[in-house]
Amino acid sequence: MVIVIAAMAAFGPLLWTLTTSLRTPAEAFTNPPQWLPLHPDFGNYAAVFSQIPLGTFFVNSVVVTGLIVVGQLVTCTLSGYAFAMIRFKGRGVIFALFLATMMVPLQTIIIPVFVIVKVLGITDSPLSLVIPALGSAFGTFLMRQYFLQMPRELGEAGRIDGASQWQVFRLIYARMATPAMATLAILNFSSFWSEFYRPLIFLQSQGKFTLPLGLVGLQGNLGTGSISVVLAGVILALIPSVVLFVVAQRYFIEGITAGSFR
Amino acid sequence: MDSSIAPQISRRDLFRVGGVGAAGLSLAALTGCSVFGSGSGGSSATTFTIAYFGDQKSATALQKRLAPKIRSIDKSITLSINAVNGTDWNDFFSKILTQIAAGSPPDIVGVPTEGLQLLAEKGLAIPLDDYVTKDMSKLKSYFADVHPSLVEAMMYKGHLYELPVDFNAGNMFFDTTLFQRAGVAAPAPDWTFDDFEAAGRKIATLPNVNAFDWVVRLWGSWTSFMYANGGNLLEEGKYAGGDWLWNTAYAGDSAAKGRQGGWKWGQPTANSAAVVESLEYMIELKKAGLSPSPDVGGGGTLQGLFSANRIGMAIGGGFWAGGLHDAGMKNGSFDVQYFPTGKVQRQLLGTGGYAIFKSSKKKDLAWEIVKLLIEPESFDIIYPGNTTTSARRSLSTAARYKTTGPEHWQTFYDSLSDVDVAPIPAPPIYNALATSLNQRTTQAISTGNAKSALDGMQRDLESALASKS
Amino acid sequence: MTTQLAVRPRARAAAPPKRSKKARRGEAVFGYAMIALSVVFVGVFTFLPILASLGLSFFSWDILSRPKFVGLQNYGRLLHDGPVLHSFVTTIVLAIVIVVLQIVIGLGLAVLVQQRRHKATQTVFRTVFYLPLLASTASVAIFMGYLFDQKFGVINYYLGLVGSGDVPWLTSSFGASVTIVLVTVWQQVGFTFVLISAALTSLPRDILEAAAVDGAGPIRTLARIKLPLISPTLFFATVVGLINAMQLFDQPFIMTKGGPGSATTTTVMVIYQSAFNNLQFGYGSAISIVLLLLILLVTGIQFAASRKVVFYQ
Repeated sequence: MVIVIAAMAAFGPLLWTLTTSLRTPAEAFTNPPQWLPLHPDFGNYAAVFSQIPLGTFFVNSVVVTGLIVVGQLVTCTLSGYAFAMIRFKGRGVIFALFLATMMVPLQTIIIPVFVIVKVLGITDSPLSLVIPALGSAFGTFLMRQYFLQMPRELGEAGRIDGASQWQVFRLIYARMATPAMATLAILNFSSFWSEFYRPLIFLQSQGKFTLPLGLVGLQGNLGTGSISVVLAGVILALIPSVVLFVVAQRYFIEGITAGSFR
Repeated sequence: MDSSIAPQISRRDLFRVGGVGAAGLSLAALTGCSVFGSGSGGSSATTFTIAYFGDQKSATALQKRLAPKIRSIDKSITLSINAVNGTDWNDFFSKILTQIAAGSPPDIVGVPTEGLQLLAEKGLAIPLDDYVTKDMSKLKSYFADVHPSLVEAMMYKGHLYELPVDFNAGNMFFDTTLFQRAGVAAPAPDWTFDDFEAAGRKIATLPNVNAFDWVVRLWGSWTSFMYANGGNLLEEGKYAGGDWLWNTAYAGDSAAKGRQGGWKWGQPTANSAAVVESLEYMIELKKAGLSPSPDVGGGGTLQGLFSANRIGMAIGGGFWAGGLHDAGMKNGSFDVQYFPTGKVQRQLLGTGGYAIFKSSKKKDLAWEIVKLLIEPESFDIIYPGNTTTSARRSLSTAARYKTTGPEHWQTFYDSLSDVDVAPIPAPPIYNALATSLNQRTTQAISTGNAKSALDGMQRDLESALASKS
Repeated sequence: MTTQLAVRPRARAAAPPKRSKKARRGEAVFGYAMIALSVVFVGVFTFLPILASLGLSFFSWDILSRPKFVGLQNYGRLLHDGPVLHSFVTTIVLAIVIVVLQIVIGLGLAVLVQQRRHKATQTVFRTVFYLPLLASTASVAIFMGYLFDQKFGVINYYLGLVGSGDVPWLTSSFGASVTIVLVTVWQQVGFTFVLISAALTSLPRDILEAAAVDGAGPIRTLARIKLPLISPTLFFATVVGLINAMQLFDQPFIMTKGGPGSATTTTVMVIYQSAFNNLQFGYGSAISIVLLLLILLVTGIQFAASRKVVFYQ
């Protein structure tokens, strides 16, 4: 019962957005709200496609988000494991410095980052979004926490049996970490998929725009765009993520069975 | 805990796994080189960049139109027109500032009233005086078509920084359906605050309707009431100069009489009696049930609710014609009138055009492009569907407003000649002023104390002016 | 065995087995190699810019002209800047409320979803709770603006049916703070939900089964066994949640512009306004360095406290 109410609270605003996007604004804001789109009008969706190259934005978003997600899975799993399981000099200090990088708002460092991006000659390219995001203190911290939850005995036993450090990591712990990796992938996907500020500053030409940046174009000059068309764009941007998340859940829920617990 | 799991190790596993990371990275590197390239890595002197706040579809169309003309002037030039997809002026401004900081600002930037004085004051934009003088014979027909009040709003300290392309004056839109239902006649051009209130009281009796609604912002907000009440946030004045233009481009034009070298925004007067009164009036409207607490921000919600017949009256400019039409409002179900008269009949306006950046290496070319941008064809490409008002009177025609409405479309341009107009107060500290306006207005509305909120605004503005110098 | 594990987990700092110097050096080299990629990327693209920002905090810079060295002047000014100091209070209060709600609701939802028998039902609920995380804040603000509208909003409509339908959600100081919290939690609870769900699903089954054999009820199992076992994740969610919440910007920036008055003006908004609106990039940097120190302090306290309440296997 509680869970159903919670689900309604979570989904209600999105459902309202969906049904409103299926009506013209002139008939949209009626109370009680109509929760079921009984007479859907797909005009707003047609308008989205005619006003902006949605397909291009979608592909750009997939490329950018995909590369970041995959890249961080590699960098963060490696470093997260090292900070959790390996003893080396300066570990605590380096980790603390990592954490400190999370504590400065993007707005204060956007100018230096843009300068570096420019020095690398990758402005107005998907790489300007991808490369600066390949390392992550958040991801490292997340993976570290999950590795800390794993029993050390497994690795020690592996070492005694003659496995190398890398083999212990790869064949024992990395396998057990699939749910954590799925978590990292899912959380990264959602934050980079909906990212607006960096694309706004870094990208110039429309052919490179990601979805959230491109969708703003629907708001029109001086905000004259139709609100229903804007909402249709919001819904369209959500659909692929829903599909992806449903698929990804398999790893999330069953991933552990591939690991060594049981 | 089961700790006896011996790892089953095979070399193949190891290779496969070790390869994943490397493969992923080299893939990224490869695609980086071949597929994506780097768009503006070569922002050398041969790329000419125009940036404006708008949508890219129009920018691409404009680029297609301008590119051949520019090639005929200079073959080595690649034109790049970037419409910045920001949500508001803040987004746009952040982006331009970042590009300036990184040493790669655009050559031409679309700048509205909001940013003109800042760019001029900081020496970022160059005055167009010499270019205009040189090409005066060619520009005669342009100036003859553009009202001098717009041109004056583009001047700063005697120099002209932009040629106006579009503008929006703060008129009053009303919902004709609701007016009929409430039995209220359409307002006359000389209607007063009392007429406004009387109409509001009748409309407020309709169910699920706000008689009047507004948004907290500098343009077309309670500031419109402030202008009609004879007040302003800063002391009004004008810089000397400008005769070089008025005596040539507007010689003999009575509307150009008394024009000078641009608006001079002096000491803060945010807590002066006329200003306090007008904000108190807004609080009264709310208490009387004639208007709700206003939203902050872009005005999208306001436009959405208006087009859904939920609002009797709201402040809008020419851009609302296209906006309401796009939102599905039928031509004829809304109309427009001048803003009602208070102590004076006076409306505010904002205007926009293109400034040439001082850092541009191709200023002469930039000037040629600016001249292309003020052509009617360019306006039609950038702003299709009446989403703003052209600075050229000749573009305000019945044909243009045939599909969108409103019936009294003449109101938009006649605002410049028939009613006293003044630009929004946008001094070099505009951004600080806008921030303070947002916070102090919402404070006044939520506490009901306009005086103390405006005292606060007065302090904000004083300290902004002090820290600037 | 189970209770033992839950109550007396081995401390992380357990003495390492004695090993040769060479083995230790080998381990260290391996460690450095493993963190190398992250160090390079985080170093160049985040740490370096922060150093730049630190340096900038000793200058007066408007971007448009040359920076001028002013020493500690920016920091001195900050100490007497009422709005900035007020923003720190606002930030901390909003952050604490947001994080507590996120953890409690996220944990509750994760537990409830896990109790569902059918996998399909689990999938549906998980997707629903995760969905809001995917919408960009700009778009969330657009439709939330309509839902929270005082007169025409859906929320006040339903509240009206039960008696009080005129809540000034965005236009009173308290209402605006509540709305910002609600919208932020609505959008981001998926974050803690996903984290905690993953932790719960990866709990070792033998322990849970043993608990069932011992006759522990579901609430007892949750409190005595599950929670201690996922405490590293809860710790992570709290630390990261607070770090993020103390940088709250998008929601108030779009929905309230920091108002009414300065009721919802967070420190990052002040930083943004100082830098990009008032063109005082040095001062903006100084405020963000102080914010960094504040978050560092809060995080440090959490790490210190975690030694008492977080259990690692």
